[in-house]
Amino acid sequence: MINIDIGATAIAILTLFGIYSLMAISLNLEYGIAGVPNFGQALFVSIGAYTAGITYTRVLPLLAGLDSVHPCGPTMGQALQLRSEIMAAQPAAGFINLALTLLVAAIVSGAVGFTVSYVTLRLKEEWFLALVLLVGGETVRIVVRGADNLICSHNGISGVAQPFYFLGDARSSSLMFMILCVALALIAYAYSQRLTRSPFGRMLKALRENEDVTRGLGKGISLARAQIMLIGSAIAAVGGVLFALNTGFVNTNDFVVNLTLDIWVMVVLGGIGNNRGALLGAALIAILDRFTQVAAITLNMSGSEIEFNYVRFIAFGIILLLMLRYRPGGLLPESPLTTNAHEVLRRARGAEPLSRRA
Amino acid sequence: MPLLELANLRKDFGGLRAVDDVSLTVPEGAIIGLIGPNGSGKSTLIDLIAGSTDLTAGKVKFDGEDISDLPANAVFHKGIARGYQEPTLYFKMTVLDNLLLPVKDQRGEHPWHAPRWRSWQQEEQTHAEAALEVLRQVQLLPHYDTLASDLSGGQMKLLEIARALMGKPKLLLLDEPTAGVAPKLAYDIFQQIARLRDDHGITLLIVEHRLEILFDFVDYVYVMHLGNLLASGSAAEISAHATVREVYFGD
Repeated sequence: MINIDIGATAIAILTLFGIYSLMAISLNLEYGIAGVPNFGQALFVSIGAYTAGITYTRVLPLLAGLDSVHPCGPTMGQALQLRSEIMAAQPAAGFINLALTLLVAAIVSGAVGFTVSYVTLRLKEEWFLALVLLVGGETVRIVVRGADNLICSHNGISGVAQPFYFLGDARSSSLMFMILCVALALIAYAYSQRLTRSPFGRMLKALRENEDVTRGLGKGISLARAQIMLIGSAIAAVGGVLFALNTGFVNTNDFVVNLTLDIWVMVVLGGIGNNRGALLGAALIAILDRFTQVAAITLNMSGSEIEFNYVRFIAFGIILLLMLRYRPGGLLPESPLTTNAHEVLRRARGAEPLSRRA
Repeated sequence: MPLLELANLRKDFGGLRAVDDVSLTVPEGAIIGLIGPNGSGKSTLIDLIAGSTDLTAGKVKFDGEDISDLPANAVFHKGIARGYQEPTLYFKMTVLDNLLLPVKDQRGEHPWHAPRWRSWQQEEQTHAEAALEVLRQVQLLPHYDTLASDLSGGQMKLLEIARALMGKPKLLLLDEPTAGVAPKLAYDIFQQIARLRDDHGITLLIVEHRLEILFDFVDYVYVMHLGNLLASGSAAEISAHATVREVYFGD
């Protein structure tokens, strides 16, 4: 048996929770609120991770005032040592690089999300976009995998250190990183809530409820949906950057269709159309993930032949089926939309009893 | 100059000609009835005017402007709003939000301003007050924070009309505004509709099967049959029209 460190487990789960939350909130905005079935979520997450892979190997040394070393091929080890040294000794360069990475990732991913959706939605309905994104995500992955110089093809880039590596102590550095992840997730949540309860959110939900009628009431569909794809894709890419920093590894194998399905499970489990549900779904999947990891390692060390990691996929399948059969709205179903208009009115009119209801 | 002018409108669905060479005019401030048996092309004609369906041939002129090729959202911005035969409310939203949705050019609908509530709350308040005023007119004011799904059938019909009004249309197209409503309430709905014209100067084109009510309110009636315009005239003329009586009432 291995000893389970409760503190480290909690930090790991909360870190995953923060990262998964960003991905789930993004998909919930796109599909839950606006009804755009994004089956290419892995693509937008991967854009974040690839960006991190590129900036941490090319930009970070420049920020530290050093020459960059080509990260692939024979100089691979030298480049790894260089960025580890910088992350340990020059926290300022690390933080500037992180900020830059998040910004570039969000902009690139948002631009891709907007452009692909706008062009596609003008041509065909939203399920065609779902297909384009599904295939597009895999295509991009294969192209990146084949490129020798981007993130070193199938080798990937390892040693993408967390921004708090300079603290030296592994526990405090992962604790700080956990706080960063959870904080970014909560900011994304607060932002999404404000967006959902604004006239923009009202329009998106109206489009989801009845496209034709909403168009007849003067709303342009493709633009509004492309706009939410821009926002959602940017948030997913932020999740992708943190994902790469958390594993310390950027590899195309992490961004197969499975990742997209994981994010869908989170949203379906938590509650489609409910931002709080996205947080809950992310939390439950983070716990399940950690549990299966620990179980798999424990079983391996006890010499068992069972590959427990596969149990995860079986569990996800069962969860998805049970939810869709017995609780299609998720654990926290979407509540009726009440926009900020009601509060505005209440404030303006005082406690005037307009309504029959309490 | 008429407010709406249809010239040789045609619509084919595959081999079926749903609307065949229909030309008609709607003068400003009028209440025009559009009647005909089921399948005569009335609803398709409404769809064509509103831009919900592409037309095969012909021209739609509104307020002196050719709007034939505009999509539905652009047609709405030109000043044409429509109701539907089936209730098409946003049932998961409150009555108030149903009304606020169609308001044009909302600052809060822009994703940049949307999360910054302070930038549009003042505007939202103005719109919400206007919505309450419209609700007062159709006597739905006490229901403003009710879910649309909790309204009765007649209230839903009224809310749908009220919702269309929030876009400040010049022309309102209504497709069977009293479908599925009790006879007494149907008359009430038409009285409300007449008031839209009298108090707000809104022009109306109404598809309706309840001729006994419709004929009390319309200035002029067009009759469609098998995609064609069969006859037109005042309510009295149409009631007495021999061919109309034949196809419509089976006399």
